[in-house]
Amino acid sequence: MIKVTKLTRIFKTNSETVKALENISFTIKDGTFASIVGRSGSGKTTLLGLMGGLDKPTSGSISVGNKEITSMNDSKLIKYRSSKIGFVFQSYNLIPNLSALENVMLPLEFNKVESSQRQNLAKEALISVGLDENQIKRKPARLSGGQQQRVAIARAIVTKPKLVLADEPTGNLDSHTAKVIFKLLKDLAKSENTTIIVVTHDLEIAKNSDLTFKIEDGKFIKGGSNAKRS
Amino acid sequence: MNVISRGIKNAFRNFTRLVAIVIIVGIVIGLSLAMVVARQAVDSKINQVKSNVGTTITIQPAGIRGFSGSGNPLTQSQINEIKNFQHITSLSESLNARLNSSQTNLVADVNLNNFGRRFLQNQFSGNSSFNFTPPVTIEGTNDPTNLSNSIGGGTFKLQSGSSFNGNPNQDVALVGTNLATKNNLTTGSTFKAYGSTFKVIGIYSSGNNFSNDQIIIPLLALQNLSSQPNTVTKVIVGVDSLSNIDALTSKISSTLGSSADVTNSIQQTQNALTPLKNIQTISLYSFIGSIIAAAVIIFLLMIMIVRERRKEIGVLKAIGASNSKIILQFVIEAITLTLLGSIVGIVFGFLASAPITKVLVSSSSSSGTSQSSGFGSSGSNINNLRNHFNHQFLGGLRSNLINVHAIVGWSIVIEGVAIAIGIGILGSLAASSIIAKIRPLEVIRTE
Repeated sequence: MIKVTKLTRIFKTNSETVKALENISFTIKDGTFASIVGRSGSGKTTLLGLMGGLDKPTSGSISVGNKEITSMNDSKLIKYRSSKIGFVFQSYNLIPNLSALENVMLPLEFNKVESSQRQNLAKEALISVGLDENQIKRKPARLSGGQQQRVAIARAIVTKPKLVLADEPTGNLDSHTAKVIFKLLKDLAKSENTTIIVVTHDLEIAKNSDLTFKIEDGKFIKGGSNAKRS
Repeated sequence: MNVISRGIKNAFRNFTRLVAIVIIVGIVIGLSLAMVVARQAVDSKINQVKSNVGTTITIQPAGIRGFSGSGNPLTQSQINEIKNFQHITSLSESLNARLNSSQTNLVADVNLNNFGRRFLQNQFSGNSSFNFTPPVTIEGTNDPTNLSNSIGGGTFKLQSGSSFNGNPNQDVALVGTNLATKNNLTTGSTFKAYGSTFKVIGIYSSGNNFSNDQIIIPLLALQNLSSQPNTVTKVIVGVDSLSNIDALTSKISSTLGSSADVTNSIQQTQNALTPLKNIQTISLYSFIGSIIAAAVIIFLLMIMIVRERRKEIGVLKAIGASNSKIILQFVIEAITLTLLGSIVGIVFGFLASAPITKVLVSSSSSSGTSQSSGFGSSGSNINNLRNHFNHQFLGGLRSNLINVHAIVGWSIVIEGVAIAIGIGILGSLAASSIIAKIRPLEVIRTE
């Protein structure tokens, strides 16, 4: 379970103070496919970054499982990110000079998985997202956008994290491929009991999510079907 | 795939940049190696020269040089003051004098030729026609086989007969080959000097005409016959080791004060070694400059690479990489680039070391010689003679100094690799701080 309580994030510059998030609270059950929708600059990515342990809130708390992540120091956050979190980015962000297989092996290395097991686990993850033996040996430049995003999803799930955070995962894909990737993520949430939170502009994704949050000016304005809002 | 193999693989990501960097770093490392080689070659030569020069101190009356100059001879009491100093292994004393035609029946084997006439014309200026009978040089010594006491120097080699031992008060003499030939002397012959009859007990050669035209007799005999009791014109002090020579020179010099010129063999070689020492300095600064240049190149390159891969670094951090792991990856990439550069550098250094050392030695030696020539044009006879002496002693040394051999050994190759690793680490240090500051959230924001 993911529990966010009274989360506020304020950015201060020399000339101004921006409230990116203000007093956000929600709870998401394990295995939920949730989406966060909102306009650019509404605070979606800030929320994603805070849940992923990439940033620290000005106030409030976030618990993932039983772990309170907002009080963790940097080294604990690194461990948290490598073992409990998977990230999927809009531009895939694969390392260009590494093969698909090597890209997926990276989180296993950072998570200190035995080197002898890394290749098999990475291969399993890649095959589970629909890539074949031939494709997993290719470098990203030799894969289509949809295939690259599959590799990115495989990289996000290879350590079997509790939470996958996806920032516009279908933003660079055509509508057909976007639907395939969406289905893939949704199936993963069910089969692995992994919580998946997707930041998106795609209303189709939002409509088909278990839970949808709309965010505007750093505040939730409308809850989804199974949200427990406080 | 781990952090090391990833770092190595990253070095080959951009082939054009790789080639450019490897060539630039290679040339810089090659130059630094060439400087190390030049310095080693020069060090080795300096040590060789110093060990060949030997461990002796020369004491002469202040202001005297050969038969020129002024001042008073050294006395036995002065020698007694220093002879028991620690680290002295031997004392070789000598007194020299000239016998004119009224003091001996011998005729010197001297042909004035151009140089002799030029020197004498300075003394008899204005008199274009002069008659001059060259004197016969006589050396009194307690160490007859050591020609370092002799004005002409050289290496004593007995051609016939035997030498006298120590310092007997006897009218016996060793005669140089040229003088012996000129006067038909052989072992057992006799000649007149200071009104006494000397018996030739040996004929020697020294390797040079000046010493071969002298007579060597016991010191006591010359002191008595020339009415210069208890006086000497030169003392050669043997010292037990090179490390004690400077301290002992200072001690003797302060004991004898201004009445004596005290120099040691090391000091005498200093002028000749100056060009080589200049090369040491040039090569050291060039080496440091090359290393800094290489480090700056890698430093700028790594900053460029880190800025270029900012997004990638953010992604690696987001998926769980620690700062230290990412920094290590970049350090390995930098080391890989510099090691590849060092391969080119070692080849370049191997090819360039000998020519660079040769150019450095030739240019430094020629500038050293021209400096010396400038000193010699001061005009006074004393300075001319001093230069004559210096050129005779140092000139041969200088020509020998040019023969410096640059050798690229395994130690140089190992040093080259170590330098490359050092440059790689040094050059990627600044990049490390940039890596540490990259926040992964910024990467997501710029999507």
